[in-house]
Amino acid sequence: MPNLRWLSIPLLVLASAAGPVYWAFPAGLSPARSLGIVLGWAGCGLLLASLLLMLRETWLSRWLGGLERMYQWHHRVGMAAYVLLLAHPLALAADPWPASPLLAWQTLSPFSQGWPVRLGWLSLLLLMLGLAATFATRIPYRIWRWLHVSLGFGVLVGLWHLLQLGIDEPVLPILALAALFLGWRLLRVDRGLAARPYIVQSAAPVAEGMVEISLRPLAEPIAATAGQFVLVAFFAGPSFRGCGEFHPFTVSSIGADLEIRVGVKALGDCSRRIQGIEPGVLARVHGAFGTFLAERPAEPQLWLAGGIGITPFLALLRAGPVSQLTTLVYLYRTEADAAFLRELRALADSDPQLSLQALATGNEPPEVNDLLPDALKLAGIECYLCGPPGMVAAVRKSLRERGIRLRQIHFENFGFR
Amino acid sequence: MRRLYVSTTLVFWLLVLAFWAGSFWLPPAEQSVATAADKVISRTELARHALPDNCWMAIRGAVYDVSAYLPAHPSRPDLVLPWCGKEATDAYDTKTKGRPHSAYADELLAKYRIGALATN
Repeated sequence: MPNLRWLSIPLLVLASAAGPVYWAFPAGLSPARSLGIVLGWAGCGLLLASLLLMLRETWLSRWLGGLERMYQWHHRVGMAAYVLLLAHPLALAADPWPASPLLAWQTLSPFSQGWPVRLGWLSLLLLMLGLAATFATRIPYRIWRWLHVSLGFGVLVGLWHLLQLGIDEPVLPILALAALFLGWRLLRVDRGLAARPYIVQSAAPVAEGMVEISLRPLAEPIAATAGQFVLVAFFAGPSFRGCGEFHPFTVSSIGADLEIRVGVKALGDCSRRIQGIEPGVLARVHGAFGTFLAERPAEPQLWLAGGIGITPFLALLRAGPVSQLTTLVYLYRTEADAAFLRELRALADSDPQLSLQALATGNEPPEVNDLLPDALKLAGIECYLCGPPGMVAAVRKSLRERGIRLRQIHFENFGFR
Repeated sequence: MRRLYVSTTLVFWLLVLAFWAGSFWLPPAEQSVATAADKVISRTELARHALPDNCWMAIRGAVYDVSAYLPAHPSRPDLVLPWCGKEATDAYDTKTKGRPHSAYADELLAKYRIGALATN
């Protein structure tokens, strides 16, 4: 079953690209024109797959191996589609080039052609703009998100371009699917129809710029396990106004009374505002997602957490004693940033299988080679990493250099832009 | 991924620029157009070529043998094939919601000209 999950996205992507190409495969045309047609249809199919991969549904993420994996593929497949669609008009224009460069330019130019070609150009420009925005991670999230939406418009305009060419047989079903995926994403995810209503029960600062929020369900609760994350939108309270956008937060505790707790670190405009949250604020919770700490084997384990990355491990420890020999390395900048440290020390004292190494690293990135046990001690150990992307990348590299196999290294980035 | 985006976008615009520049600086297209305009084709003769692999059309007073081009035509065959063997000027001039074909299409069409339609 895990192998099937592993293959699910590649197979889906392959089918999406191959289906339209098979339908439209040209016969008896010149190589350049045939290539142009194949590139266009393959790009169209990949865009459709990319739209499916941006849906955030718990059942779909289980089928496809986790939300993070879906997002990695969403980015890769979208980028591959973009490259193919850039090459599509160039290959079509290359066809008449040997006989007539003027005809080649007229094939490509939006000024000498009719609306079908102009719409093709508009679609490409929207994809270009949307992808440029995707890579501009420094712009505020709210603006970024709207610029990213232009990619969806780009897909629809691209399909309109095909309809204007008089090709409606496979395009109408593709258009219907694309509209379904975009509408699904807008209503179920962005407008929160898939989320459950909760209310903030309490909020406690746990470190500098970090608050732990307890949420009580107002209707049927979500099903979450330790190590998972949820998408939460906070709305208005007596004197607090949330930004109402869904952001991912790791579950730090799952209570027997169905309350969940999430840790929120001030990393952006919205999460900074959440630091001032108060009891009574309404929230919507969507999830839970992630397979980070699921299905852990019985082998001894090394957990390495950086800053806010401690929360999935904390959720697991709060759920009960560990069943494997476990070493938790917890890195933080200063004592003021060390969230939950006192509680972690108490948990380690009461659990003979758990040892805790807590270390203040200062403002400089830690020297990970000095932190990790040598290769001999790491043999047969399962490693779980959670923290800033730079730290995770450095630790993974260091572990690989010590001969640890990829399958022994588990991590999640929790990044969804 | 960002590097791939920047490099492919840059290459795309450079090639677009090259196509545009090539249309000015390279020699114009050879007139491979069949110029047998003196051959006059009757409507009866035209009507004999009404099959997908033997498709003539009359457009704006000229007759074109578009059999070789039909597989490459972007729209679906059932939009085009009914015009084989017929006077198709109206269809040609009202392609998409009443709009005529482009100048590019005119140039492409000229390559397939085989004669003039008899006036009677």
